[in-house]
Amino acid sequence: MKKVEAIVKPSKLEAIQKGLTAADIPCMTVMPVKGAGLQRGYSEIYRGLEKPMILLPKVMIICVVSDENLEKCIDVILENASEGNIGDGKIFVYDVYDAVRIRNHERGGGAIK
Amino acid sequence: MDEIKELAANQQELVHAIDSVWVALCAALIFQMEGGFALLEAGFIRSKNSMSIIAKVMIDIMIGGLAFYAFGFAVAYGASNGYFAFGTGILSGDLGLNLTISNSLFWFLQLGFAIASISIVSGGIAERMKIWSYAIFVVIFCIIIYPVAANWVWNPNGWLAKLGFNDFAGSSAVHAVGGFAALAGAILVGPRMGKYNADGTANAIPGHNLTLASVGAFLLWFGWFGFNPGSTLAAVGKWEVIGKVAVNTFLASAAGGVSTMAYTLIRYKKVDITMVINGVLAGLVAITAGCNLVGPNSAIVIGFFAGVFVDICVVLIDKMKIDDPVGAIAVHGVNGFFGTIAVGVFAEEKGLFFSGDVHFLGIQTLGVVVISLFSFFTTYLVFFLLKKTIGIRIHRHEELVGMDAVEFGVEAYTTFE
Repeated sequence: MKKVEAIVKPSKLEAIQKGLTAADIPCMTVMPVKGAGLQRGYSEIYRGLEKPMILLPKVMIICVVSDENLEKCIDVILENASEGNIGDGKIFVYDVYDAVRIRNHERGGGAIK
Repeated sequence: MDEIKELAANQQELVHAIDSVWVALCAALIFQMEGGFALLEAGFIRSKNSMSIIAKVMIDIMIGGLAFYAFGFAVAYGASNGYFAFGTGILSGDLGLNLTISNSLFWFLQLGFAIASISIVSGGIAERMKIWSYAIFVVIFCIIIYPVAANWVWNPNGWLAKLGFNDFAGSSAVHAVGGFAALAGAILVGPRMGKYNADGTANAIPGHNLTLASVGAFLLWFGWFGFNPGSTLAAVGKWEVIGKVAVNTFLASAAGGVSTMAYTLIRYKKVDITMVINGVLAGLVAITAGCNLVGPNSAIVIGFFAGVFVDICVVLIDKMKIDDPVGAIAVHGVNGFFGTIAVGVFAEEKGLFFSGDVHFLGIQTLGVVVISLFSFFTTYLVFFLLKKTIGIRIHRHEELVGMDAVEFGVEAYTTFE
C-alpha cells in the first residue's frame, strides 16, 4: 500500500481527477495549498509597498493505492499535469503502514478497495 | 378667498411632502454607507480582526448615533454664538435654514453625516485599538468634535457660514474632520506589529478579502448619490441643482479612479485595484464641497487630481511611520482638504480660475485649515488622555492572536462545518 501525494497546478485538478477515475482509482483527498519550489515564490506591489516571497497557490492530491496500482496512478498524474514547465509540481510516494475502513472496521488492503 | 387660502395651504403641504420624500430617500442612502465603511475596512485588514472592525462601525452607528441625538445635533444646529451651541435632543422651531422638511427628518439626514465622519476614524485605528476606549472617543467625537465643525460650516450663525465658506456636503465638515481625527488617532495608537522593520522600512500587510472591500467601495459610491444630491435639503426649487450635483459627483469619482489606474500602471507596471478603490473615493470626497458650484469639466479635473494625491499620500503616510490600514487619511483627510480649496479655484462664478479673485479661495483655505487643525488637535488631546488613563492599545497577545478570537470570542471565518 502506498500513499501518493501530488502537488500540482490548480488548473490540472479536473483532468487528473477524470484520469484517475477512468483508471479505476477514484479515491482521493484534495486540498488547496500554497508553496514554493525552486522558483521561490514571487513578489507583488500592494498599495505602493513590495510584498516579497508570496507563495504560489497549488492543489495537493492525496491517493492511497495498492502496490499494483501505484505506477498507473503516477502515470495518470504525469500525463495530465506535466507541461514541461517550471511550476508543474512534484509527486511524493510513501509507504502506508495500515488502513481502516471506518464503516465496517475492515483493515489493510481491503479497506482501500 | 377661502378657496385661495385652501389652495395655498395644499400647495405648501405638497412642497413639504415632495421635499420629505427626497430627503428621506437620500438619508437612507447615506445611512447604508455605513455598510460600505464596514465591508471596505473589514476587507482591507486581516481576517483575524475583521469582526472587531464590524464592531467598531456598529459602535459608530449605535453609540455615536445616540450621542448625536442626545447632544450632538443641538451643539451643531442650536442657537449658535458662531462657534458652538448648547441644547439637547432634536430641537424644535425654526433652525434658520429655511427648511421645508421636519426637524426630525433633518436630524436623520445629519445623523448619516455624523456617523460617516466617525467611521473614517475606525479605519485609521483598525486592528490595534481597545474597543471601549474607542467607544469613549466616539461619544466625544459625536457630541463635540463633529458638531462643532458642522456648527461653523452649516449653522446659519456659524463663523465660516457667515464668511461665505462653501462646503456643500462636507468635504471639510465630514471628511477632513474624520480624516484628520484618523491621523491623530493613528499617530497615538501607533503602527500595527510587523508593519515596520527595525531599519524603518514598511511592510505590506495585504487585506484578507479584497472582493469584500470592493463591495464596500461600491456601497459607498452608491450612497454618495444620497450624500451629495441630498444636501440640497429639498427637491422643490432645487431640481436643477440636484442634477448638477449628481453629475459632478459621478464625473469626479470616475476621473479619480482613472487617474489612479494610470498612476499605478506607470509607477508600478500594474494596476492596483485597491488603490483604484481609494482613487474613486478620493474623487468623491474632493467633489463633495463644491459639487453645487463647479462645472462638469472642473469636476473631472478635481477628481483627476484627487486620484493622484491619494496615490502619493498613501505611500508618503507609510514612509512617515503612520500606519493607516485602509487609507482613511489619504482619502478623507488629504482630499477633504484639497476638495475644499478646489472650490475656491474652480467655482464657476467666484473661483480664482473664472473670476481672477482670490478672496473666495482665501475663505475656503482658511476654513479647511482651521477645521483640520481643530479636528487633529482635539482628537490628539482625547487620545492622549485616554492613553494616559485607561489605555488605547490592545495587549500584545491579543494583537498576535487577533481581536476577534480574544475580545469577541468569534472568528469571521470558521473553518469546519
